[in-house]
Amino acid sequence: MEGLMAFWSETGIANFAPDQIFMMAIGGLLLFLAISKGFEPLLLVPIGFGAILANIPNAGFTDEGGLLWYAYHVGIETGIFPLLIFMGVGALTDFGALIANPKTLLLGAAAQFGIFATLLGAIALNLVPGFEFSMQDAAAIAIIGGADGPTAIFLASKLAPDLLGAIAVAAYSYMALVPLIQPPIMRLLTSESERTIKMEQLREVSKKEKIIFPLMVVGMTILFLPAATPLVGMFCLGNLMRECGVVDRLSSTAQNELINVVTIFLGLAVGSKLQAEEFLRIETLGILVLGAVAFSIGTAAGVMMAKLMSKLSGGKINPLIGAAGVSAVPMAARVVNKVGLEANQQNFLLMHAMGPNVAGVLGSAVAAGVLLAVLG
Amino acid sequence: MTSISEQLFDALGVMIMGMGLVFIFLSMLIVGIKIVARLCKSEIQPTVAYAPAPVAASATTLDPKLVAAITSAIHQYRAKD
Repeated sequence: MEGLMAFWSETGIANFAPDQIFMMAIGGLLLFLAISKGFEPLLLVPIGFGAILANIPNAGFTDEGGLLWYAYHVGIETGIFPLLIFMGVGALTDFGALIANPKTLLLGAAAQFGIFATLLGAIALNLVPGFEFSMQDAAAIAIIGGADGPTAIFLASKLAPDLLGAIAVAAYSYMALVPLIQPPIMRLLTSESERTIKMEQLREVSKKEKIIFPLMVVGMTILFLPAATPLVGMFCLGNLMRECGVVDRLSSTAQNELINVVTIFLGLAVGSKLQAEEFLRIETLGILVLGAVAFSIGTAAGVMMAKLMSKLSGGKINPLIGAAGVSAVPMAARVVNKVGLEANQQNFLLMHAMGPNVAGVLGSAVAAGVLLAVLG
Repeated sequence: MTSISEQLFDALGVMIMGMGLVFIFLSMLIVGIKIVARLCKSEIQPTVAYAPAPVAASATTLDPKLVAAITSAIHQYRAKD
């Protein structure tokens, strides 16, 4: 009988706290969104399952020495996982559209306004009782507006590790919600005739230009913004491996096997931060709201900049492509293409939107570097 | 603990400086890309102008009569076996 009692006291049923059940339900919700709705399944499946594992009473996954504890400390606290992902993203990115039309870098820069405006918003939220964000916290929250998961996780792990779970979940959720959040803003800010503007076909870009590009980006980062070199450097390494054509094996590993392995552990480690005591706080609600605001402002700023460039160029630029200036590659570019097709059945904007889209990745990495340099 | 208005002022400073730096950095990149594009263009153009020439030449020198003769010769050769 005593043995049975001892067994009972070790079961999950006897030890559950209500907030752990609630967090497991959130993990279940993430799994549902990933599996049934197809929202960023590659990340939300491991994150959702990680959230369930992290909240099991008596399992010890997240205690010192547990699997999730190691995954977090080895991969995220050190910043290694997001950087490896960034290398893979670099190997997956074709900068051809950007090199053919370099002006679109300005759109990628404008969309970063979402980040810096939210920095202000997060500090302003301190006026509401219950919120106490430091400047570092505010910067880590604001980077959600960059719509770039690895950058958000990297910055949060450096500036505000206690908020990391909420920030990562917000960043990936909003990236999944790009097709819902962006189109209304894009339609609101542009007129029907602007949306139908057709753009000239892009010139072809030589292999040499594509090889020089990552080297040039990394060179400029070394000179002007060394704080951004972890992100930009890994990104450019991946891109150089892709474009140079002599290390196809490495490039293919970076964009397939390596990024997949790291994604599994990154997802689990982020999920482990969804523990009840760390996640169920008023700050989480603030982060979710601020993230949505950051994203919307970024989209709006990109579109406004594109409108300005359209006016200055005499109507050669479709303002819709500005919305792709938030990163979220390639989802944002696809959304631009879709909204463009709604206005004009013959107007394919996908390639034109890829320019600002990859510019947004660089822009948010630069913005992260600025925030790290100033506040880190 | 600094007052919120002071923090807001700091955040405003970071915002202006951050946007400025992002724009400056990416604008310099635009200039860089344009310079590289110009350098590569001056190298590519001669090869592009040169490349189509041999293709066109080989196409015109192949006389239809010659083609017919070769075809019939091959035909006859194969028919022998």
